[in-house]
Amino acid sequence: MGVKKTDIVLLDDKGIRCDGRKINEPRRIMIKAGVLKNANGSAYIEFGENKILAGVFGPRDVHPKHLANTDRGILRCRYHMQPFSVGERKNPAPSRREIEISKVIKEALEPAVMLENFPRTVVDVFIEILQADGGSRCAALDAAAVALADAGIPMRDMVSACAAGKVADTIVLDINNEEDQEGQADMPVAYMPNLGKVTLIQLDGVLSPQEYEKCVNTALEGCKIVYEVQKKALQEKFFGDSQ
Amino acid sequence: MDDIKRKYVIPGDVITTGPYRAEENVHLHGDKIIATTVGISEIFDSGVRVIPLAGMYIPRIDDFIIGIVKSHTSLSWELNINSCYAGILPAQDVFGRDFNPKVDDLTSRLKTGDLIAARVANSDRSRDPLITIADRDLGKIEEGELIKISPSKVPRLIGKRGSMIQTIESATKAIITIGQNGFVVVSSEEPEGLLKAMEAIKMVEEQAHVPNLTERIQQMLGSNSE
Amino acid sequence: MTTTTILDDLKKKKIHALLKEGQRVDGRALDEPRQLIIDTGVIPKAEGSARVRLGDTEVVCGVKVQPDKPFPDLGDRGIFICTAEILPLADPAAEPGPPGEEVIELARVVDRGIRESGMVDLKQLVLEKDKSVVGIFIDNSVTDYDGNLFDACSYASVASVLSCKIPKYNYADGVVTKVEGEFTAPPITTVPVSVTMGKIGNNIIVDPNADEWACMDARITITTNEAGNICAIQKGGNNGFTPEELVQCGKISIATGAKIRDMLKKAGRS
Repeated sequence: MGVKKTDIVLLDDKGIRCDGRKINEPRRIMIKAGVLKNANGSAYIEFGENKILAGVFGPRDVHPKHLANTDRGILRCRYHMQPFSVGERKNPAPSRREIEISKVIKEALEPAVMLENFPRTVVDVFIEILQADGGSRCAALDAAAVALADAGIPMRDMVSACAAGKVADTIVLDINNEEDQEGQADMPVAYMPNLGKVTLIQLDGVLSPQEYEKCVNTALEGCKIVYEVQKKALQEKFFGDSQ
Repeated sequence: MDDIKRKYVIPGDVITTGPYRAEENVHLHGDKIIATTVGISEIFDSGVRVIPLAGMYIPRIDDFIIGIVKSHTSLSWELNINSCYAGILPAQDVFGRDFNPKVDDLTSRLKTGDLIAARVANSDRSRDPLITIADRDLGKIEEGELIKISPSKVPRLIGKRGSMIQTIESATKAIITIGQNGFVVVSSEEPEGLLKAMEAIKMVEEQAHVPNLTERIQQMLGSNSE
Repeated sequence: MTTTTILDDLKKKKIHALLKEGQRVDGRALDEPRQLIIDTGVIPKAEGSARVRLGDTEVVCGVKVQPDKPFPDLGDRGIFICTAEILPLADPAAEPGPPGEEVIELARVVDRGIRESGMVDLKQLVLEKDKSVVGIFIDNSVTDYDGNLFDACSYASVASVLSCKIPKYNYADGVVTKVEGEFTAPPITTVPVSVTMGKIGNNIIVDPNADEWACMDARITITTNEAGNICAIQKGGNNGFTPEELVQCGKISIATGAKIRDMLKKAGRS
């Protein structure tokens, strides 16, 4: 089309964003639970242009053995991008970014997973980004939480994640790729909806205290929307049409 | 049954609030009772629990299980018992008290890949569960076919007072051995009965949450045999 | 990792007993591959892509096309690289980290089959001789394991390449620019098909599933081209084939390959 990046109108005067959404509207979210045969639990999510597969194994024996904890189970998490998931081919070896995201996702899930029930074991969460778009860590978390529930691993609550951010001086829900590149702030948030606890929050960008508060609340609204989609995915898998 | 309130739940769902006892697969948060696993919640008397529809097998003492021999050391076999922990079958259990690791070769009795019918002798999560085959009807399984189902669906496959399993066995003439750990061995003289029994077991696994499942299975087996 | 599957003894006995009667555990004929489902265009951001399901083995494959420097001794040819990885979520025995020898063999066999067939005419992918060429990078990711990754990855790669769009590039004064919105079809000369056969006892079976894979004595992967010629072979496993069996495998790979080739072509067009 020949449109230069600086020409993108992030928010027009009618409050419509560059991909046609309103300021508090998330992208299309679709989750399917139980998509893999070998994994104990699995989920596939499409969140905007994100296409992500999550698989869970465990609780199972820990290898290497010295990592095992005699009091409780451990959680391991790997967020990994396919070489073809982005514009330029990505080296398949894990980057520093992927390692950091793996860690924050693990720490966002850990408060929910009742690892104390399974001493000396590990729960492995493997997340594969088949196609990446803005907000892939939130989408990855959403799929991982559904995969954990699909595996029957005891959880205190679901974990639902969605980002909010600042674009054209306005707080908007669910930042897409263009808004991430050109916008002013991006804040991914993960939330346990029934326990009312935030288990992941990060921020890239500058916000005033008022904007900060609004941004958190906007993201939490997004988490609640995601939560409904997660519930639906698990209900479809386990209860089918007998509801 | 009528005074029990049932509901489909997923982790995080608030089942009820108020002065109830939190039983299996739920946790108490303030006065909320919250499900911790996908399943069917039940409120009975003053208690609340969730019957799970997914999850690992957690060994309990005296459970009848089926195991697959994974490997062995000079003193014991390690078994896949479909759990987060490997089952340990000590050599003494098979060779008796006179077992001598210098003389007795474990592979002469059980080798990798063998299936055994067994019981959980001891299990406390701080150590790998101890397994025994020293009892009647326990030991190596010589024939049949292994099917793996979710351990959470074993009670459904057995049915009330064994009604489900009796229905399948009598309609197919197959012999079905159900381990509490979700490993099930089916054997039959007739290949057709074997296939039908396996089909029925898979149907129970897929539709464990559906009411009147026994009737559905009867229908499926009945219509197939005519 | 693919050999660490512990097959229960009863299943093993059954596989052997059935083969004596000329039957297989899942009811297939000896020379019958499992159901093959190919969806192309599943990763819109990749220039070509496919998800292949062969029985319960599943592979997602993406093709990235981008300009690159040619290899020093091959200045008149584009770059073609095909990789494969078993994702840790595909199998409880798979582990994250550097690939083991089995995964490396898998990637090399898939690459070799397609490369040696000359499927893509690399001479047509040169922007400026010795300076700049178009690179085709094919990455296979196994998402579910049920035996025979060789064929599943090969079919995913071939379907992805067939469905792939090559962007138009201009080369001037050492600078490559992409022409937005203009694409050409890849220069395809033939459609290679790999057929993997296992040997159990004295039986040759096509497309072994995970249970058969775990108890077979030896295997062979034969890739054939559209003219019905053989263009790559890999034997594996710790037993051997008789010369007669090798001839038989060659014939099976050509006959079975022809049927699969039609499916690949159809999937590549859609």
